Amino acid sequence: MAKLKLQINGEETEVEAKEAALLLDVLREGLGLTGTKRGCETSHCGACTILLDGMAVHSCVVLAARCEGKEITTVEGLSEGGDLNRLQRLFLKHGALQCGYCTPGMLMAATALLRRNPRPSLEETKIGLDGNLCRCTGYTGIFDAIQAYAQDGGK
Amino acid sequence: MIERKLIRPDSMAEALGQREQYGKDAMPIAGGQSLLVLLRNKLIDPKVLIDLERLGELRGVQRQADGMSVGPMTTIYDLLSSPEVRAAAPLLSQAASKVGSTAIRNLGTIGGNLCHNEPGADLPPALLALDAVVELRSRKATRKVPLREFFRGYFETVVTPDELLYAIEIPTLPGGASAVYLKHAISAEDLAIAGVAVVLIPDEQHSRKAREIRIGLGGVASVPLRASKAESAVRGAVLNDVAIREAGEIAASEADPMTDPHASAEYRRKMVKVLVRRAILGAIEQSERNGHGKA
Repeated sequence: MAKLKLQINGEETEVEAKEAALLLDVLREGLGLTGTKRGCETSHCGACTILLDGMAVHSCVVLAARCEGKEITTVEGLSEGGDLNRLQRLFLKHGALQCGYCTPGMLMAATALLRRNPRPSLEETKIGLDGNLCRCTGYTGIFDAIQAYAQDGGK
Repeated sequence: MIERKLIRPDSMAEALGQREQYGKDAMPIAGGQSLLVLLRNKLIDPKVLIDLERLGELRGVQRQADGMSVGPMTTIYDLLSSPEVRAAAPLLSQAASKVGSTAIRNLGTIGGNLCHNEPGADLPPALLALDAVVELRSRKATRKVPLREFFRGYFETVVTPDELLYAIEIPTLPGGASAVYLKHAISAEDLAIAGVAVVLIPDEQHSRKAREIRIGLGGVASVPLRASKAESAVRGAVLNDVAIREAGEIAASEADPMTDPHASAEYRRKMVKVLVRRAILGAIEQSERNGHGKA
């Protein structure tokens, strides 16, 4: 076992984990941050997407030990003062979720996209979310929510 | 159960020492995007993982007199954001943009992509068509291997248990060359059912005449390969519809695909024929657009 110092959602956290532990397992089992979902565990579905130094990555294929000294953001880090942030509210408004299982990953992939490219075209939005699968909404609501966010410049 | 050990060398010398010490008990880990899936599913079970992330000298793109040298830990994202790659090897940019998904491109590396050698990977056909050469190092020796001799079989390469991939050298194409990578997959993040890279070096005097043509195939045999018979058949020829169709047919006969849940062997072979034809047409169009190869 190893002791890891991780920076998660702006807070320094210490956690015990196996040397070659995966970030997804450390987040969910080690730290109880279950907003990050366990999906395919083969880096296809994107339910476990988090931000690592601002980049969207699938936490099921990230060594936790590699995250020391990097900034981790999970879906729990999106809310502002206990309220949903603007992107989350737009997901609600545009019906961008049904069962909700893919939603944390979708939000994180969208957040990474919008930070890098505040006004993505629909095509760029689709590429930004190409690592995230949804099996119920048909994606349209998700793209609408992101496009609405981009149009208002996040205000 | 003994817990898997993770070691994180800070220098190439240290890493090569560990490669020699642990041999087959260890596996190097680059971006981890494929390796960690294999580990979780217990398809591989190395006692030791040698993490290459801290070896800064293995990451980055360097221009050289006759081309460029890419470090194996350079991520697909790095390749896509590199103006040098776009300028000196746009074919590599095209293929890189087709790798996996955004999240995979953010962490996945060029070296991992080559060494993992999973059928349907996008970079090998492009790098084969670019005549890339890889440099392998062990504690005792350094050797250079043309990429054409690098792949050995499904998930197998010539890298020995004491070696590490050190650099991928990509020669610059002659002026006027054009290049196209086409990927056929069901869903964008899938591996290619068939991936075809074509480099066309047109004759300076004659429109549509191929001084040289190189065809890289991925996903359609136990290793990524060059369709050398098809290349010979059209070298020096006028690329009319008959010649282009023939190149596709010969390339398809050089493929030796497998059947898996994504596609049958027969279907993969047919797609080689189609994609080779389309890629050659695309390369001709690109050349003519750039004003090269006109009579």
